[in-house]
Amino acid sequence: MRKVVIGLEVHCELKSNSKIFSSAKNGFSDIPNSNVSVVDMGMPGILPVVNKEAVRNSIKMALAMNCMVPDYLTFERKNYFYPDLPKGYQITQFKHPIGTNGYVMIDVNGEDKKILIHDTHLEEDTASMDHYNDYSLLDYNRCGVPLLETVTEPCINSADEAVAFLEGLRSIFLYTDTSYARSDKGQIRCDVNVSLMEENATELGTRVEIKNINSFSGVKEAIISEVARQNEVLDNGGEIVQETRRYDESTNKTYTMRSKEDAIDYRYFTDPNLPPIKIDKEWVEEIKSEIPKLHNERFRIYTKEYNINTKDAYTIVKDKKVSDFYEECVNLLNEPVLISNWLTGDVMKYLNRESLTIEEAKLNPIMLTDMIKMVIQGKINGKQAKEVLEKMLDTGKDANTLVNELGMTQISDEGEIRQIILSVLAENKNLIDDYKAGKKVFDYIVGLVMKTTRGKANPIISAKVLKEELEKYL
Amino acid sequence: MDKKTLKLLAKKLMFTMNEEEYDTLSEEFATILKQMDLIGKIDNIDKVEPLIYPFPLENTLMREDEVLDELPIDDILLNSGSSLYNQVKVPKVVE
Amino acid sequence: MVKSIIELNEDLRNEKIDSESLFNQSVKLAKDSQKEYNPFVTILDKYEKNDSDSLVNGIPYVLKDNISTKGILTTASSNILSNYVPVYDATIYKKLKEAGAVLVGKTVLDELAMGGTGMTGHTGIVKNPWDKSRQIGGSSAGSAAAVALGIVPFAIGSDTGDSVRKPAAYGGVVGFKPTYGRISRYGLFPFASSLDHLGIFARNVRDVAIVTDIVKGHDEHDMTSLPDDDKIYTKMLDQSVKGRKLFYIKEALENDDNDSNLSEIIDNFKNVIKKCESIGIEVCEESISKELLLALYPAYMAISCAEATSNDANLNGIHFGVRGEGKTPDEIITDARTKGFSELIKRRFIIGSYILQRENQEKLFLNAYRVRRLVVDKMNELFKKYDGLIMPAAAGIAPKFEDKTDKLSDKYLILDNHLCIGNFGGYPSITIPCGFVNKMPIAINITGRIKEDDLVLNMANKLEDVMEYKNQVAGGDK
Repeated sequence: MRKVVIGLEVHCELKSNSKIFSSAKNGFSDIPNSNVSVVDMGMPGILPVVNKEAVRNSIKMALAMNCMVPDYLTFERKNYFYPDLPKGYQITQFKHPIGTNGYVMIDVNGEDKKILIHDTHLEEDTASMDHYNDYSLLDYNRCGVPLLETVTEPCINSADEAVAFLEGLRSIFLYTDTSYARSDKGQIRCDVNVSLMEENATELGTRVEIKNINSFSGVKEAIISEVARQNEVLDNGGEIVQETRRYDESTNKTYTMRSKEDAIDYRYFTDPNLPPIKIDKEWVEEIKSEIPKLHNERFRIYTKEYNINTKDAYTIVKDKKVSDFYEECVNLLNEPVLISNWLTGDVMKYLNRESLTIEEAKLNPIMLTDMIKMVIQGKINGKQAKEVLEKMLDTGKDANTLVNELGMTQISDEGEIRQIILSVLAENKNLIDDYKAGKKVFDYIVGLVMKTTRGKANPIISAKVLKEELEKYL
Repeated sequence: MDKKTLKLLAKKLMFTMNEEEYDTLSEEFATILKQMDLIGKIDNIDKVEPLIYPFPLENTLMREDEVLDELPIDDILLNSGSSLYNQVKVPKVVE
Repeated sequence: MVKSIIELNEDLRNEKIDSESLFNQSVKLAKDSQKEYNPFVTILDKYEKNDSDSLVNGIPYVLKDNISTKGILTTASSNILSNYVPVYDATIYKKLKEAGAVLVGKTVLDELAMGGTGMTGHTGIVKNPWDKSRQIGGSSAGSAAAVALGIVPFAIGSDTGDSVRKPAAYGGVVGFKPTYGRISRYGLFPFASSLDHLGIFARNVRDVAIVTDIVKGHDEHDMTSLPDDDKIYTKMLDQSVKGRKLFYIKEALENDDNDSNLSEIIDNFKNVIKKCESIGIEVCEESISKELLLALYPAYMAISCAEATSNDANLNGIHFGVRGEGKTPDEIITDARTKGFSELIKRRFIIGSYILQRENQEKLFLNAYRVRRLVVDKMNELFKKYDGLIMPAAAGIAPKFEDKTDKLSDKYLILDNHLCIGNFGGYPSITIPCGFVNKMPIAINITGRIKEDDLVLNMANKLEDVMEYKNQVAGGDK
């Protein structure tokens, strides 16, 4: 068995109002060329001006990935010709990326693994192209959208690990609120470097790069297919050629794009239009303080401190909004397991059924915890609670209002319940006789009590009082 | 510098030149490389920090994140040699 | 149109003439000169003007054709841009428009501002107004010629190595480039971004200062633009220069070949030094190692070609410019660039690209930037002692067309290549006429400390006052 060695380069579009070097809108528009400035089009004489928010988000990501942030912000030009690159060069970071030497912890089948981050750098996206039979059309909307490229060390050893890292990385983007990270909109794209190492080898094998994969499942399939291809070549005594390949989803295979000899020399050099900008230490600290607890830290707390099962904990941390909701609930009511049960159970079921996000739902943490409190206090029973929750989600009314509206308030007063039981027994003297004769009528009588109170009598108290009353006849 | 190298350089810059033009270029290369060699012989030149900007530009401010300048579609397409459905049209790009 | 800005402004205020007539006069002069001298790519025929109470209100002027003007053809004198109509205004154009100045035309340059002969523009060569068999120099050839011919009182050019100050010298007019970043570059088609400056031509220092006051200032579209200095340069022109100190570079004035033109230029320079002393400016000799002085030109070539090859990579004929023919995107780009650039440009791009290649960066590209550091460090050291550098602007008079091409050659005079020091360090630098050799104008250059544009203009103005070459126009009154 040869060892699989994978390195990833992940491009992800950052959130901001305007683009990285121009003040055109950074937004995903279906109307071609609706958010374009002269700067994005690389018209003669334009100059780039750095967007502070894009830089802030890139620093936030760098810190969240435990990277070093440089003292100065600098940019290089990457020079190459392509129809989607209007300036003939891409402004990127080559010498001093916004983050270097970091790591991200991932969970691979319950085991922690540290994925080393070589660097993460800020750059601009290119135009998008639509291809038709004999022509292509250029839409410059995407030109200049801030892009963060994260490069791992070659320390990933399977397709599953690669996907776990990508999920983890996406989660960091979402938790830090720096990107929508939607692969269905091409906001997160991936280049994969794959090589194989013979069992006792000390050096990495020849590396093959697979370019521009748009989905996590694509990454997984591409790796599996490329590993199989390389194994086959080696098994047949062949050699792996250093090259760039592309992955075709329809055939599930990788194909040669260009060989090492055709590799482009990007002739990187410092962009003279962008003077170095001092990155204030205080600013970095301020940004750091804005980073929330990330998903893996929350996962650890939920499973280790709150004793929530891993499946539910995973469900909660998967979406930061859900996790935030959960933590707010726990702050209001210290019943982490109960809350988790309700949230991952009935609440999620409702959201999935109605295709809603937790934010869109008419439920807030106060409403949910108030309801759970009523259950704990025995004011409503579990079955009623389910009904209340459903109605809460439908109407946005709080639990108290709904319990009143639905007439669900439980009778928990012992004296009141005793009166009800005594009158039920008075009307059904035959049952007392049956009881005395040893017949199993206890539950039937409880049922009558419930029927009389339309279910409002607290079943536990009712049972206790009924037992006391019946024992008097023995 | 041989012609083959020069032609490859031209190809990477996406243009072609005629034969005599490559001859002139070859002479120019010889001149500039000779002059650059002299620069390389300046004492301790390799220890000098390259000067990219004329002088340090202090207090450069970044732009606030506001949407301000966007071009109307007519301006975007005004200078393009060919367009279709409000997009710039080129022969099919094959990756 | 031989009057100065101040004089024209007075005439306009006193309603001796109106600005539209002034514009029409300029247009007529421009059209009349076009056949003989070819300064223009475009002469405007529509009078358009904003109201303002600035000194240039109503005054006609021209822009080099590498400055973006919305709705007005801007070609950079290159075939690849021969159909390009910008959709936005350069900051400098916007400021002049707001100040009420009236644009008369767009002037010819060496293709893409690369070159110093005025002979490589796609619409033909520009001739020297003092002698039609001679170059006006470049790259801001048409702008220099338009001012020298008295078509307009001022013109805008750009200066990457000497492209304003050299043609000003050959044309007998004043040429000034302020400190790097003093005038926003937004809308200037780049040649080499770290060396590019906008500059001003006029027939006297005061007019240059008036225009500089209007076009300078911080611009949020240009991250390299300087913060406002809140000075009015015009007000400082007449301050005393007594006690100021200038130096010249001894090695640049050597005349080993006993070139006769150069001898005359050196004699004239000695005379200029006397004039300086007459107004209280002390001029001293200083030495800079010849090794470094000889490195100026190759370092300039390396930096400018490297930056240019990247800056001009947007010229692919797809989203703007002349579209190439072909069946694939690669073919149309290659066709557009092959047909769109002249030979000189292609050679410069190839040199620049070679210098940037990974394996050459250290030895060629970075060494050039290192020479830049050594030169600038040396200058800054001298500027601790001196208020500026004073030198003849060129080693000779304007060359004949057949004399010189833009090919790189071994023969090279320090005195013909020192002006790029001003670009290396971003120093304010001005060229003013200081006499004639063989009936052709020659000039002196003063280069000062960064951000001291006011002092450079002040010294130039005082020196101009004691010489007789102010407000001169080629071929006498027009």
